[in-house]
Amino acid sequence: MSKNVEQTIRDLMAIVLNTDAAKIDDGTSMDNTPGWDSANHINLVLALEEEFSISFEVSEFEMMTSYFDVVQTVTAKI
Amino acid sequence: MTESNAGKETPGKAAAEPDRRAGIRASLEAGAVPMAMQDARLLLREQPSALNYRFLRQLVDALPHDVAELKPYRVALLASFSIEFIHDALIAFGFVNGLRIHIYQPGFGQINQEMLDPGSGLYAFAPDVAILAIEGEDWLPEVYTDFMDVEASGVGLGAVVTRFGEQMGSLARAFRVTCAAPLLVHNLALACRRRAGIADLRLPQGQVNMVVELNHTLTQALADVVEARVVDYAGLVNAAGSSNWYDTRMRLYAKAPIANAMLGQLAQEYMRYFRALRGLSKKCLVVDLDNTLWGGVIGEDGIDGIQLGPNYPGSAFVEFQRAVLDLYRRGVILAIASKNNAADADAVFTDHQFMLLRKEHFAETEIHWERKSDSLKRIAQRLNIGLEHIVFADDNPAECAQVRRELPVVTVIQLPRRPELYVDALCAEGLFDTITLSAEDRRRGQLYQQRAQSESMRVGSGNIEDYYRDLDMELHIAPVDASSLARAAQLTQKTSQFNLTTVRYSEAEVAARLADPNWLAITVGVRDRFGDNGIVGVVMAQARDDRLDIDTLLLSCRVIGRTVETAMLAHLCDAALARGLGKLTGRLIPTAKNIPVRDLFERHNFSKQSEDPAGTTIWGLDLERGRVERPTWFKIAADPRSQ
Repeated sequence: MSKNVEQTIRDLMAIVLNTDAAKIDDGTSMDNTPGWDSANHINLVLALEEEFSISFEVSEFEMMTSYFDVVQTVTAKI
Repeated sequence: MTESNAGKETPGKAAAEPDRRAGIRASLEAGAVPMAMQDARLLLREQPSALNYRFLRQLVDALPHDVAELKPYRVALLASFSIEFIHDALIAFGFVNGLRIHIYQPGFGQINQEMLDPGSGLYAFAPDVAILAIEGEDWLPEVYTDFMDVEASGVGLGAVVTRFGEQMGSLARAFRVTCAAPLLVHNLALACRRRAGIADLRLPQGQVNMVVELNHTLTQALADVVEARVVDYAGLVNAAGSSNWYDTRMRLYAKAPIANAMLGQLAQEYMRYFRALRGLSKKCLVVDLDNTLWGGVIGEDGIDGIQLGPNYPGSAFVEFQRAVLDLYRRGVILAIASKNNAADADAVFTDHQFMLLRKEHFAETEIHWERKSDSLKRIAQRLNIGLEHIVFADDNPAECAQVRRELPVVTVIQLPRRPELYVDALCAEGLFDTITLSAEDRRRGQLYQQRAQSESMRVGSGNIEDYYRDLDMELHIAPVDASSLARAAQLTQKTSQFNLTTVRYSEAEVAARLADPNWLAITVGVRDRFGDNGIVGVVMAQARDDRLDIDTLLLSCRVIGRTVETAMLAHLCDAALARGLGKLTGRLIPTAKNIPVRDLFERHNFSKQSEDPAGTTIWGLDLERGRVERPTWFKIAADPRSQ
């Protein structure tokens, strides 16, 4: 019924980071994604919280610096 | 509405959202901007999330610069905290409302520098509106963070209040000197917690009472700065609940105190102002009848079977009617578009004891079995308003979809399945909001501009009569009727300068005179080459013996000095003669403010008949010897109802 978590995260990141969902993979990180700067990182974190009805600790904000880490952190919470 | 529709819940967001987003994108690619705006509005109603705001923002960013349906609107955001997380929501809701929002965002804490320095980025940006968003924690630590320190010191907060008033007043004035844009200033919200605990209200200057006093001071400080308005931020926080509104984590981490989920609320609150300031407020509400004004179907259930009254669900429909009636009282035009037998519907209005709405509240009715989109078109045509100013509320999804498809510029409110949610569906967006409750106030910016233009013209044209002629004035003189009653009463309540007697009347008092054939009650509207000033004058006069006696004659200050009063007296001369009355009489009650009207009678060759010790004078004009003529530079409008 609902899409799997990874696909939802990928679609969400594509919108927030203004990029193509198909280009997002485990290697996608703040270091190699132009739209993913520190200001936009907060937008991304808040959008994830809303989408999955979860709440992150501030320390987790700073862990989620790549697609892989985002999936890990979100999955651990839902 | 059918049972199958009634039973259906909103589909899960996971299924509906991407489809909705794809639909919006497709509409924009096809150039169907109004359709995209409609769908975006639905998307944000169903799922007002940061993700959807971002999605819409990116679509807007990708649009060409000259999309006819989107008016550019430049918003300066000055805040004592990090407010930039609202940008996506602001741009997204702007799109829904036909605005293409451009934002100027200096860093937080730059308020003083930006507003006081005429060379600042704020003024270089040339905003259409500026918002001054303050949080007490940042702006007034004495009353917030440091409250207990100050309380313990015994110094008192009187000086803080005075300084706050002076500071906000001088910021607003500094802004006004350099920039003509409206200025919206947040008032102060209470924090979640009183620092003195439950003892707060026992303190001579506790936080609860101090915030009330500060907000009152703010209102006063802005009162004499043109187009400086208070945004009721405190009310917004209160409605959401401060523990929902604020996110302590984000305040401490990013100096962004407002919870992410609340930013849409704040953006929508701004939209109420933006719509009103840009003339995008809705003017007319068209409602369905069955399952909208009452529960059930009158043609099937009969007058005793429909749900309307003190018990649920009838109580929910009474409450909805009350909300619709409130809109009527605020000047919104009401109309009906219903598929029904007209006689069945009429009987509910005349015979049902719990109907709050009456037929006379509705300017237009379309009760038949034809398509609702056609009904709406006819309503718009007869009212002479654009379809984009119409809101259509109906419980039936099929009717809503039909109107959306045929008339995408109409704002459609699909009433939810549960009638207790109707009022929220109608009122949540504030679609009909105006800056003040008078239409003239709402257009003040434009009117000031008009006046400035006409003043500059007055300087340009040497001869005063040439000036009057160049104004190209058209008068609309009409008996007070249901549509103008509120405005007429309001003018008697508000006008202090050009007002012979300064007697204030309620709507009911004016209405009572409409029923009396001896009374004449008229409104005067003036349109000129700069636009329509709306109703600007009221005259009430009573036939007594052989004379027509002026009870009230007033003019809004906006049109003083244009001989409109002469035309009003000329009209009264006509009216007196038409009734076979040979005299026109009136009285002047001098007040501190009504200096402009003092010489009215004298200028028009009335003779003074008496004067009492208080200075009230009685004047008369013998119409057999001479009358007041209407100046030749006025045209008389063909349609006296147009305002």
